[in-house]
Amino acid sequence: MARASKQKSRTWLAWLGLAPFFLFGIAFEIIPVLTLVRSSLTDKGIPTLMHFERALTPMFVESFRNSIQLSAATAFLGVVFGTIVAHAIVTTRNRFVRDAITALADVTTNFGGAPLAFAFIVVLGSTGVVTLLLKMIGVNLYPTTFRIYSIQGLTVAYLYFQLPLMILLVIPSLLGLRREWREAAINLGASPAQYWRRVALPILAPSLLGGFLLLFANAFGAYATAWTLTGPDVNLVTVQIAALVRGEVQLDPALADALAMLSLFVMTLCVAGYQWLGGRARKGAR
Amino acid sequence: MKNDRGIWRVIVLALFLTFMIVPFLATVLFSISVRWDRTIFPEGLTLEWWDKVTSRSAFETTLTNSFIVSFATMFALALLVTPTAYWAHIRVPRGKPFIEFLTIIPFGIPGVVLALALIRFYSTVPLPLINTPNILVAACMVIALPFMYRPVANALDAIDIHVLTEAAQSLGAGLWQTMWRVIVPNIMPGIVSGCLLVFSTVFAEFTLANLLVGTRFKTFPIYLVEFTRFDGRQASALAVISFVVAWLTSLLIIWIAGRGGRPAEALGAR
Repeated sequence: MARASKQKSRTWLAWLGLAPFFLFGIAFEIIPVLTLVRSSLTDKGIPTLMHFERALTPMFVESFRNSIQLSAATAFLGVVFGTIVAHAIVTTRNRFVRDAITALADVTTNFGGAPLAFAFIVVLGSTGVVTLLLKMIGVNLYPTTFRIYSIQGLTVAYLYFQLPLMILLVIPSLLGLRREWREAAINLGASPAQYWRRVALPILAPSLLGGFLLLFANAFGAYATAWTLTGPDVNLVTVQIAALVRGEVQLDPALADALAMLSLFVMTLCVAGYQWLGGRARKGAR
Repeated sequence: MKNDRGIWRVIVLALFLTFMIVPFLATVLFSISVRWDRTIFPEGLTLEWWDKVTSRSAFETTLTNSFIVSFATMFALALLVTPTAYWAHIRVPRGKPFIEFLTIIPFGIPGVVLALALIRFYSTVPLPLINTPNILVAACMVIALPFMYRPVANALDAIDIHVLTEAAQSLGAGLWQTMWRVIVPNIMPGIVSGCLLVFSTVFAEFTLANLLVGTRFKTFPIYLVEFTRFDGRQASALAVISFVVAWLTSLLIIWIAGRGGRPAEALGAR
């Protein structure tokens, strides 16, 4: 009995060793976010949904539609092309090519923001080098077909960090596809297309869906690239929230809080879904 | 048949490489071109833009500020995360899910929302945080937390910390000695990988710096964004510097991971 309680107090003391970390997390993650939750749901201390109603103006609704479309488009393209490139990487026999391109994906996946946006202006801006090259062969991007300073342009720029992220996420799953499965399918008379549709893709499905969710969240929360490339011209959720933070928080903080809560809701769904699918994929692999 | 497949692979990889490398090369060339907006090739080469942009005093100030924030975040996170991860692994395994929860949260908070949340709460608290570099470092610690924790936790998983700890203690080492003299050297590749990932993340961080401190403590990315509106050719030189810093840090991470063998898994993205 005495021993048990001593043991108990020792575990309790051991938990104290984690206190600095938990204090940090509570002070800079939990409490600030809870402040937003409370403020967005109350008015002078009384529970209300009025801030969310106020957030449903056409401008803010459009910002959510734009953000969701941009995130869905870049996540979808990222998943499709990322998986194709990753497949090319894992099936290549040249070890150097495989390592070098994986390293390139590693390097570029965290790369975004201002330098990236600027690089795309140099390449695809109205006087960019690719724009000029295309003009030479008779394709005029500007002023009507394509603008880098628009949602189309952002889609291309976002792919620069979405593709490598998907490649890194899906490579382990592609490596998990056993050669015997393919051979078995082919021996049973399946065509390569049938093998992909009936065997490989169903096995890869959780990783692909998880990848889609993580890429979606990655694009939905992005701000620096969009701001550098398009300034206030493109109406995205993060651009709206940033504008409120810079100028109008003092005037109408609860409105900013409500917008932030809505975007947190979207992000949480994505990240929680990714975690859940990731857990399933790992269990499946075992 | 075999040849066909090979060609398919070469085309896919070549297109991918082109897409990833051309923006970088074009920016480099643009920064040393006299003029490059009317012709396919630059109209002559010059170092004028590099000279101009690096001779401003703001160049040095913002670069220094970015290094200060990056190093402060890196050291603070290493000191916070390493002992915590070790302690949780050896004594409080049941605390791990809570720690992991706190390291996943940053993925779900957009930078703009984190900035808003910190401003909203800390402007009501009498601490020397709001509008100072301190709050920027705290915010950077939040977003970089997963990049520090994952490699360190993976490195701890990869060695037998229980045997090492017991061996050290049976030889008379205290807790601190065990940690600094035995555990830390064994998980060093993980810690260094984490530090480098943190460094490259924070060095390129624009959103938090812009919203939390803005012009009061200008960082390098803020300086770069100002130039993109004002002089493209000088901005391109700054963009090249950012590219190079990010690439060098990442190559260093890959090199360390490759050398250690095991800590290859320590890379955050895997």
